Amino acid sequence: MVEVELPADSSSAILAATLANAYPQLVGVALREDLAGLLVSYTLNLNGTEFVESGKLALNEGDTLLLFSSQAGG
Amino acid sequence: MLYGYNGRALLVDLTRHRSRWQKLDEDALRRFIGGTGLGAYLLYEHCPTGIEPLSPENPLIFVTSPLVGSRLTTSSKFSVLTKSPLTGFIGDSLSSSFMATELKKTGCDALIITGKSAYPCLLSIDDGEVDFLDASELMGLSTLDTERAVKGQLGHRRRVACIGPAGENLVRFASITNDGGRQAARTGPGAVMGSKNLKAIAVKGTQSVPVYDHDALNEIGADLTRRSLGPATEKYRTLGTMANVSVFNSLGTLPTRNFQQSTFDGAEGVSAEQFHESNFVKNAHCANCTIGCEKILVTSDNGKKATGRMEYESAFALGPLVGVADGNTVIRASTLCDELGMDTISVGATVAWAMECFERGVMTKENTGGIDLRFGSGEELIECIHFIAERKGIGDLLAEGSLRASRIVGHGSDAWAMQVKGLEMPGYEPRSLKTMALGLAVSTRGACHNRSSAYEVDFSARVNRLEVDDERGRITAEGEDFSAVLDSLIWCKFLRKAFDDLYAESAEIYSHITGWDMTADELRLAGERINNLKKAFNIREGWARKDDILPPRVFDEALPTGVAAGVGLSKEDLDMMVDGYYRARGWNEDGTIPEGKMRELGLEDVIDILAEAGLIGD
Repeated sequence: MVEVELPADSSSAILAATLANAYPQLVGVALREDLAGLLVSYTLNLNGTEFVESGKLALNEGDTLLLFSSQAGG
Repeated sequence: MLYGYNGRALLVDLTRHRSRWQKLDEDALRRFIGGTGLGAYLLYEHCPTGIEPLSPENPLIFVTSPLVGSRLTTSSKFSVLTKSPLTGFIGDSLSSSFMATELKKTGCDALIITGKSAYPCLLSIDDGEVDFLDASELMGLSTLDTERAVKGQLGHRRRVACIGPAGENLVRFASITNDGGRQAARTGPGAVMGSKNLKAIAVKGTQSVPVYDHDALNEIGADLTRRSLGPATEKYRTLGTMANVSVFNSLGTLPTRNFQQSTFDGAEGVSAEQFHESNFVKNAHCANCTIGCEKILVTSDNGKKATGRMEYESAFALGPLVGVADGNTVIRASTLCDELGMDTISVGATVAWAMECFERGVMTKENTGGIDLRFGSGEELIECIHFIAERKGIGDLLAEGSLRASRIVGHGSDAWAMQVKGLEMPGYEPRSLKTMALGLAVSTRGACHNRSSAYEVDFSARVNRLEVDDERGRITAEGEDFSAVLDSLIWCKFLRKAFDDLYAESAEIYSHITGWDMTADELRLAGERINNLKKAFNIREGWARKDDILPPRVFDEALPTGVAAGVGLSKEDLDMMVDGYYRARGWNEDGTIPEGKMRELGLEDVIDILAEAGLIGD
C-alpha cells in the first residue's frame, strides 16, 4: 500500500505519471512507456468496488486505487 | 490422407485384457475438434446410460487434439473424460505436457479404457502395441514414486499417467497424475482409474502425424510465441496464478473458512508475494510452453521438507478456505495432495466443511478420531489429507466428498457443503462475483470456474459484479463456448488473451494443420455444439433444472466482511440469471434442449437416445 496525491478530477494518465515519478520501476511493467495510462495487462479498481477502464478518475480524499493484473484466471 | 489426426481411437478392455482400434470418422473430428469436445462425443457413445461411475462399464477416455505435436506454444495438452464419481454427470479434466505428445505418437487420438483388471495393472502402450503388466509392486506408491518406478521398469522415454493411494482407495476426488506432478484432478477421474484396478499407463510412440501446411503453421506459430511472451501473459510468467490471493482479498472475493467470509485476515501469509519472498525455487514449463506459469516452491521452516507446484486454487483451498495462514503448511498440504493423487480444491473444501461441522458441534472428537478439527489447524489439515487418501477414520467419510458426507452426517450440514452437483467450489466467491455465480450454477461438470471463465467479466468495467442483470446468461453462454473451443483444440487458457480473435486465428491454425477449411463461425458453432452435447449427456444421466443451483449458504447469508460486506445473492436473482442463460442457449424453460436446437447444431446422433427416454423438449 502506498499513498500518492492526485487531483480530484484526475485521469489514468495523471495516475501513471504520478506512479512513474514515485516508482519508475513500474514503467514498462504496469505503466505504458508513454505514461498515457496502464498497460493492457493491468487494471484499476476504485475502492474495491468499481473497475475503471479508461480516462477520467473522479476521486475523493481517502479513496483507494487497486492496481493489479487484468489476467484474472487461475 | 489425414492431417493433424491419427483418425482412430485405441479401445482397451481391462476385463479381457484385449484391445482394438476404432476408426474415428472425419465428420466427428471436425464437429468436435479434439480434447474435451471429441472426448464428450466418445463418452456419449461408450458410456452406457445410468451406469454407476465406479463400475467397470464406465469408460475412462484420454483424448489428444489436432494441435498436439504441432509444437505450437501451450498445445501439449490432453483431456480426460468419464462419468464422474463425484457428480454422476460428465467428468472432464485437462492435463498437460509430454504425456499428450507421446500418447498421440502411439497412433491414436483417443484412448478409451473400459472393464476392470483382475489384478493391479500397468497398461503399456508402445507404438500401439498393448501389454497388460502386473502392477502389484506399485500399489501403495505415491504418484511421483509410481512414475519413477514405471520409468525404471520400462525405460525413461516412457510417459506415465498414474494414480496414487487416493485413486487406489476410490477417493471420489482422486486425480490422475502425469509428467512429474501434473494433475487431471477435478471430478475425480483417478477414482475411476482405481476402480479399474489400473495403477498406471505408460506410453511410448514414434508415429508423427503430418501437418498440412508446415510453413504457414510455423509462421503463425512464431508470431503466437512472440505474443505469448508479452503483456497478455505477464501475470502467469511473474507471480503466477497465486497473485489472485491478495487481489481477491482486496476485492472481497476470497472464499474463507468454508465461504463464511470473503476476506481472510491471514491472506498475506499465503500470498504470491510472500511465497516468492520465502519459498520460490524456480518457474517451470509444460512441454512446448513458452509461458512457464508453474511456480515451484519449497518449505522454509524446520518441518518436513516439501517441494512442489503451487497454484491459486491450491493456495486458496488449503489456506483461506480452511483458515490456514501459514505458507509452509499450505505448500506441505498441496504437495501431499499431489503425491497422494487428489484434487486440492475438493480436499480443501471437504475438510473446510468438516471443520465447520466440528466448530458447530455437529462433529466431535469422537467422530474425528481425536482430531481437533478447527479452522486454522494446519497439522490437523495434514493429518486429514493422509486419512482421506487412506480412507482411514474420518478420512473414509471425507473421501466421499462434501455433499455425500453431509448427507451421511445429517443435522443440516448439507447447508455448509459448498458444492454444485457434488463438485466442490473453486476460489471465486459467487456473492461478490455475480456472473461467476451463474457460471458455477450451470456448469455441466459442477462448480467450475474454468468451463465458463465467467469471472473475467466480473473483474472488468463491463458489468457491476455485485449486482445481477439479465445479460449474464448470454455472457456466460458465450464464455462457455469460448472455453469449449479452447479445451477442444486444446489451447492453454493462459494463452487466451494473446489472441486478438480466438475463433478466427484458431480456425486458420486448424486449417493449416488439417488441410480442412475451417471458419471462425464454424469454430464458434463447434463450441456451442460441444456444450450442448455435454448438457445432453447430463440430461441422459438424470440432470434436472434443480441441479443448476448454488449451495444454500449463498442465498441465506450475506457476506460479512470486506468491500462486499452486506452483499448476498437471492435465489430469485439466480433463477432470473438461469432463465436468461437457458434463453441465450435456445433451451426450454426447464433447461432441456429442443429437438430443433439439436438439429441446428448437428447433434442428430443424440436425439434418438434422448427422445426414446422422453428427455428431449419440443
